[in-house]
Amino acid sequence: MSESLAVADHIEPAGADWLFRIGGAIVALVLFLAAFGPTLAPYNPTLTTPEVSSPPPALADLPRLILTAIVSKNTAPVHWFGTDASGLDIFSRVISAPRIDLTIALVANGLSLLLGISIGLLCGYFRNLGTEIIMRVSDVLQSFPVFISAMILVALGGRSIGNIVIALAALYTPIYIRLTRAEVMGQKVRGYVEAARAIGNGEAMIAIKHVLPNSLTPALIQSSVTVGFAILLTAGLSFVGAGVQPPTPEWGLMISTGANQIVLGEWWPSVFPGIAISITVFGFAVLGNALERRYAAG
Amino acid sequence: MLLRTILRRLAVGVVQLLGLTVAVFFLIRLMPADPVSRFVGINPSKAAYAQAAKAIGVDRPISTQLLHYLGLAPSQGKGLLQGNLGTSWVSNAPVLKDIATALPVTLELITMAFIIALIIAVPIGMLAALRPGGKTDKAVFVYGLFAGSQPEFWWALLFVFVFYFKLGIAPPPLGLINPMNSPPPPRTGFYTIDSLLAGDLTTFFDLLHHLMLPVATLVFILSGPIIKMVRQNMEQALTADFVLYARAAGMPGSTVARYALRAAMAPSMTLIGILYGFMLGGAVLVESVFSLPGIGQYAVRSILAFDYPAIQGVVLVITAISLVVYLLLDLLHAIIDPRLAQE
Repeated sequence: MSESLAVADHIEPAGADWLFRIGGAIVALVLFLAAFGPTLAPYNPTLTTPEVSSPPPALADLPRLILTAIVSKNTAPVHWFGTDASGLDIFSRVISAPRIDLTIALVANGLSLLLGISIGLLCGYFRNLGTEIIMRVSDVLQSFPVFISAMILVALGGRSIGNIVIALAALYTPIYIRLTRAEVMGQKVRGYVEAARAIGNGEAMIAIKHVLPNSLTPALIQSSVTVGFAILLTAGLSFVGAGVQPPTPEWGLMISTGANQIVLGEWWPSVFPGIAISITVFGFAVLGNALERRYAAG
Repeated sequence: MLLRTILRRLAVGVVQLLGLTVAVFFLIRLMPADPVSRFVGINPSKAAYAQAAKAIGVDRPISTQLLHYLGLAPSQGKGLLQGNLGTSWVSNAPVLKDIATALPVTLELITMAFIIALIIAVPIGMLAALRPGGKTDKAVFVYGLFAGSQPEFWWALLFVFVFYFKLGIAPPPLGLINPMNSPPPPRTGFYTIDSLLAGDLTTFFDLLHHLMLPVATLVFILSGPIIKMVRQNMEQALTADFVLYARAAGMPGSTVARYALRAAMAPSMTLIGILYGFMLGGAVLVESVFSLPGIGQYAVRSILAFDYPAIQGVVLVITAISLVVYLLLDLLHAIIDPRLAQE
């Protein structure tokens, strides 16, 4: 399978793979905003301004406004993306949101990665009744309708960032269990395991020190895709009212707040955060895919 | 042989559903949410609180509640075994009845979306596979990645803005039919089928008009993974030995493509089934944007209202349908690829 795919997808050398570079650049930008977004924001993302529902400046005015913004320091900052119905500056909120969205996605992914890899190693290396039961439970967990399960966990557990992280981690763990287990089962029959055993290593030692490092790649590659989907899911939860609480700067919540205005023609409160999600998740998907092709190519 | 496989799968499915039901039952009760507080005012007296708890039955020990829900406690009334999913705490209607009204709306929506998405995406995926690495292939590949990673609720809103507000060709996102029209007399529960059965073409076209944007949103989102999958499976099939042989034997290109498509469709069916099961719950965001009274909307309402019987019912029904869809697809798979039936 991997061979024919490698041919079909025409792997180019690392530097020439433009998809890899686009994905990498988007992810880097989002990481940068998660670190410095709130500091760079011209307005406080959670404090209202007196200007309510003001549209973004017209395209023709942009050069003049940018020039004024650079030259004179005394004027109030421009609302580049306009303001929403409560007067919050949309630009400040859009660039502050990665700190919330990305933190949720990264921590949830990290937790499920840790859990999934440990359980996957256990279930792949030691095949017995106990690990069989764990796998069956994991199968049942995976058959839960994802979005509805996440809503149940967050709405009934309390709408907090911590609960969103736990819900996402619980939903993504079975994926990592399956990936790691499959890889471990392929690795443990390799020659180096036999060699490690021959020189007198214990089974637990072989599993952790030799098999585990060789079985991480599929799960790590999946991470990029999972982080992207975690951002989508977080935004979706906020959108139906089972996510973070207002006025937290979070993309899905912003789209949701703007949803009522869009039928009245006020497009900017929803459109800008939507573009941000769209590009971000695409970036993670592209990066994940590029890594996957490279791994498949060996 | 085939019958035995089906029976075994059904038996396993029933056990899985039972396990899931019990798991969900305990899971939602382990949560810190207090459903009783939703039925009494702020700062209730002890007596009022106790009365509300009694009314929805959460004053009983949890084991009694579970046995009642499963239908193993005849003294408490009918339960799951008797085909009763309980009574919604909010609407006071039987959960089964509520779901029977909501489910057809979702099934109608996603089935239409799937059919159109397949009609569009399969040829595109095939076209890309015919010349791997070519310009078309690369463009299709990037489109597939893009469409498969988009926030559907945002695209739905964008469509509303463009097609309703700007162009005025779509109706406002306020449900399935024009509020001035009366819904068709319910026979199957599927509005499109019912309106046709009643011979009411006005309602039928009104329905299609209202479903236009939600279906278009789902088609866009679904086209991503479907294109990706068809392209991948088709490329693999085209490198297979039987294709090489067919080419060497001088078969016309269209015949070779038909052979390859058949081989590529078999593995694709599985993914389509998984996607369909996923969309049952995954259509909730689109339903929410367009105020469609489907199963997803029902789930959101029940979850936000802490309506436990309704939550349990929704999870159970969605999972059960997914399992049946998987089973049907495996059967179809066995028909397309006879080698599988042999095993």
